[in-house]
Amino acid sequence: MSARAVLLSAHALAVDRGRRRVLSDVSVELLAGEALAVVGPNAAGKSTLVRALAGLLEPVAGELRLCGRPLADWPSDARARVLALATSEEEGPDALSVGERVALGRYPHRGPFQPLDETDHAAVARALEQTGIAPLAERRLGTLSAGERQLATLARGLAQEPRVLLLDEPAAHLDIGHQLQLFRTLDDVRRSGVGVLAVVHDLARAAQWADRMLLVADGRVTAEGAPGDVLCSEAAERAFGVRIRSHALPSLAHPHYSFEELS
Amino acid sequence: MTSGRSRLVIPALAGALVLALLLATAAGSVPLPFPGVLGALLERLGLPGDASALGATGETILFTVRLPRVLLAALVGGGLAVVGAVLQAVFRNPLADSGLLGVGAGAALGAVLAVHLGLASAVFFALPLAAFAGALGAVLAVYFIAGTSGRASLHGLLLTGIAVSALAGALTSVLLVATEEFRVKTVLFWLAGGLDGRGWTHVQAAALFVLSGVALLVLLGRPIDVLSLGEQEAASLGLPVRATRLSLLGLAALVAGASTAVAGSVPFVGLMAPHALRPVVGPLSRRLLPAAFLGGATLVVLADLGTRTLSARFELPLGALTACVGAPYFLLALRANEGRG
Repeated sequence: MSARAVLLSAHALAVDRGRRRVLSDVSVELLAGEALAVVGPNAAGKSTLVRALAGLLEPVAGELRLCGRPLADWPSDARARVLALATSEEEGPDALSVGERVALGRYPHRGPFQPLDETDHAAVARALEQTGIAPLAERRLGTLSAGERQLATLARGLAQEPRVLLLDEPAAHLDIGHQLQLFRTLDDVRRSGVGVLAVVHDLARAAQWADRMLLVADGRVTAEGAPGDVLCSEAAERAFGVRIRSHALPSLAHPHYSFEELS
Repeated sequence: MTSGRSRLVIPALAGALVLALLLATAAGSVPLPFPGVLGALLERLGLPGDASALGATGETILFTVRLPRVLLAALVGGGLAVVGAVLQAVFRNPLADSGLLGVGAGAALGAVLAVHLGLASAVFFALPLAAFAGALGAVLAVYFIAGTSGRASLHGLLLTGIAVSALAGALTSVLLVATEEFRVKTVLFWLAGGLDGRGWTHVQAAALFVLSGVALLVLLGRPIDVLSLGEQEAASLGLPVRATRLSLLGLAALVAGASTAVAGSVPFVGLMAPHALRPVVGPLSRRLLPAAFLGGATLVVLADLGTRTLSARFELPLGALTACVGAPYFLLALRANEGRG
């Protein structure tokens, strides 16, 4: 596959939760090495989208493909070797050490019975290194801050060595230092050819990090494109009820965004 | 954690269990001399040993009364502790126990039914078999009732467990009222939990279910660990969540059902042993399950010794003894748990 191959695609996707239609007619493509940010107001269906793309929710209509093959046709362990999901809801038992937590990310590669070998330990060490939590490897989850636990979840995803990384609010509990570190890590990851799709709450941060942005409002994709264009679109104004303007400042590498309530 | 100290925990627990087993075989209403017990056991195992210090009566007591009872205590305690450890991982709650799934209530209903129908006195082994069937039935009922309301969520399972237990409890009391008085005592003795008068047949039956169930659960250690990360993360790691959970619950019901069938209700062992050992050996199943087995076995062997020796006039119910230790432990653990959250 070429460097910009389509890794994950959804076409005209519809997903129900209970009896409620949460997503309808959503189409999205994630390319190799791409950083795609999904933004939108609360309860717009972003988390549902991520879980459906991860193969955890059965769509009622539409088509999902991973590396060109229908997602539902993938055996679950093979899928987990190619696609990793990390959300801010995930937490392991308090007594589990960070190293053990991350090593469980090797489950799709080794299955229930095979012992971990050198390649597994190397992948775990790399994931701990990349997320900057190698010094915490022996610590137990119960002794960590919420932000550190979240980095441990991300490290577990990286230990899977996926080609597609899906993230739901990966920076939710992180302070600014850890946030910058997280997005730097994600940049490293996608430079190695991994397609990264992340739901990001902080719009300015999302715009800074992403190549491309997807706006989800009311269960539909209402804007898609370069982050600056999406944020300053009418669709974004409608979705958030906020006027967003970008300001290019010569001293800054990225445009600055201002947010005003619509009167 | 794989620090040097935690590696010593399992050998230390094994040593403690051996000591407890020897102590419990030697002590009792008829104390047996320790060297004689050791000699007789070694002799039976085909090793150089001498049983002469025991005498013929001593040897009879040792091999027909004491030893099966003590081994049964170890099997029951070990089995219940492993089940507790597995359920705590599956339900992601450090205070979960087999009682939550209706094991105890189902077993009681089965036992009372057997007694009510007069089967218990007519058919050998009818009471433990009925208790076993009741325990399995209750767990299956819980699982499938919770499963039909969409997907079997953990809260759904726990609440269904409470409801099924309550229903089984209600049926049990109705049956008790309707049972002739002279039979009620059989049930009450069994419900209180105890190992009095259990012999090698009980040991063989319990060993078959408990040891094979425990072995399979230990073998499934890694799926248990993955499941302890939560449904969503386990599914995203490619684990077939529902099938895994159903097999684990089935094995847990098998082990807990067999234990309850031979010993009656022995509460809190499944909670205490894994809960106390988790901070020491960590939550990974490949270390926690063996440690919990050894710890739970030691606990019940010593508790059973207590029922035989604490009172000179009568034997205490085993379940009452473990509850007297376990209930305060549970309350303290609950407070510590809430203080943190």
